[in-house]
Amino acid sequence: MSDFAALILQQSINGIYLGCLYVMVALGLTLIYGVLNQINFAHADFVTAGAFTAFFVTTRFATKMLGLSDVTGYLLSIVLALGVGALLGLAINAAVFAPLRNRGDELRPLIATIGVSVLVENGQLALFGPVPYQLDSPFSQQTIRLGKIFFTEQSVLVVAAAALAIGALYAFMRFTFLGKALRAVAQDRETAGLMGINQNFLIGLTVVIASALAGMAGALLGPVIVLTPFAGTSVIVKAFAIVIIGGFGNMEGTILAGILVGVIEAFTVQYLGSGVIDLVVFALLLLMLAVRPTGLIAERREENV
Amino acid sequence: MSSPARPAARWPWFLAALAATAAAPWLLATPYWRGILVICAMNVLLALSLNLILGYTGQLNLGQSGFFAIGAYVTTVLVKTYGWNFWLACIAASGAAGAVGLLLAAFAVRLRGHYLGIASLGFAVIVYQILVNWEKVTEGVRGIYGIMPPPPIRIPGLPEIAFGNQVALFYLVGGIALLVYLMLDNLVRSPVGETLRAIREDEISAGSLGVHAAKWKAFAFGLGSAIAGLAGCFYPGFVGTLVPDAFNIVESFTMMAMVIVGGMGTMIGPVIGAIVLTFLPELLRGFGEMRLMVYGVALTLVVLFLPGGIVQGWQALQARIGAWRAAP
Repeated sequence: MSDFAALILQQSINGIYLGCLYVMVALGLTLIYGVLNQINFAHADFVTAGAFTAFFVTTRFATKMLGLSDVTGYLLSIVLALGVGALLGLAINAAVFAPLRNRGDELRPLIATIGVSVLVENGQLALFGPVPYQLDSPFSQQTIRLGKIFFTEQSVLVVAAAALAIGALYAFMRFTFLGKALRAVAQDRETAGLMGINQNFLIGLTVVIASALAGMAGALLGPVIVLTPFAGTSVIVKAFAIVIIGGFGNMEGTILAGILVGVIEAFTVQYLGSGVIDLVVFALLLLMLAVRPTGLIAERREENV
Repeated sequence: MSSPARPAARWPWFLAALAATAAAPWLLATPYWRGILVICAMNVLLALSLNLILGYTGQLNLGQSGFFAIGAYVTTVLVKTYGWNFWLACIAASGAAGAVGLLLAAFAVRLRGHYLGIASLGFAVIVYQILVNWEKVTEGVRGIYGIMPPPPIRIPGLPEIAFGNQVALFYLVGGIALLVYLMLDNLVRSPVGETLRAIREDEISAGSLGVHAAKWKAFAFGLGSAIAGLAGCFYPGFVGTLVPDAFNIVESFTMMAMVIVGGMGTMIGPVIGAIVLTFLPELLRGFGEMRLMVYGVALTLVVLFLPGGIVQGWQALQARIGAWRAAP
């Protein structure tokens, strides 16, 4: 293999790894949007909360108190981060989405979630302080070498976790009764309600699933970000871009766009430097909006006059 | 109450606002609070500008911090690097912010709701990244230091008005905020204002009545951006330094919060919102580290229980008192 081909392959692998991380954050946003037509700005802080959970589980709880090995400790922390995300989702649904859902307004829930975001960020600031934490994954040290290509076990874990999460979500949406009901609610909330579907429960469930994904993504992102109470913000803005590029509320589009953005980012770092990543991603976003505002995969949504 | 007051009835209120503005720096007479007052006047301008776009034409603009940044940086660079006169640079900077706003609007008018929200958020991120990366002009994250306040005004026969003095600077920015308020107040009462509201309520119906919605939406967007740019002109001279972090996208959210908390789509609401949300964090300093948490909770609670903002709360209170008085 020539050096150039190896480089392209190497950066593509890095990009897919990064893309999978973004997909896990962006999927939650797109899920909530698909069912509720709402944007959750606090989603970023659930990612941060997941990362902090992973940090404290790996450094204190699992290793010191339970005496587990680093590897089991980290895997346990991913599960617990998922749980913390789910709990936060339950809370924000009860506090914001459920009460505001039937007011038919897209702006106020958005502002309310900004309020929640300020609360969670500063709550974490009060608890953990502004000094960055370093979350170490035992898998980050182990590299796998194939010819000229290197990657860490962590990237394998991330891709596997993303694939597992996406697969489970798909299976849930396609093959279970609840998933079918959820799709019905997303399509037409009123009619679904008339068919005896409990939309309150299903909408709550969606927010919980989305937030659990965010928590898990936090545990997996932790080792590659500077872990401060405001860490999520840097990721979330990109996740919003991904959701738009993919088409709001469209899962396939989001997955495709997430991986695309990851790969573009990897090549931007290679050829233009890391300073301009956000410029490139958002230029792509604006271009996409100008050329094809419905996203990569168009959503079919009728507009009533 | 919701019907617009007759023009004659508005003047006493305006004179009261003028008197309140004149008295404010003497009621809050410490340098610290006078500084807060200057910030407050800038926030009022920003909230007014966003309200025109969001409240009167219903365009979800999350990128207002970008226009604020353009105003601040264009003024500073023109004055410091090219030696322009401050007031000329101010006009140029507001114009530049307005022009960029029009440009963004040109393609943003096709987008609706959250799409526009994220696109404008993307715009703010791009502006921020340009400020960080274009070091030759903006000095990047190192920032620009030693920025002078606006040059003194000399009127023959009167003492020189120097804007290093916080009171003078507050009168300048506060006066401009009052003028902008008057201008916008007249605008939204004019047929133009009715056109904008018609577009907000139902763009398609408005279009069927011969309203060129895209044109008017772009007009509101451009004017709103220019006013945000104008607010930006005074920021660097007040703080003395200019760093990209002052124009983080979080600033856009703060402006949005001011508009919503005060009462979107009313003229006085955003002014109240700006004043409340400027002073609230200061009054909450007693809570120490908890103060921003309290701020977040307050924001969420207002949206949950007062969806029309403080203005709506006030009207509900008035109605209740009226009913109580009418009862035998």
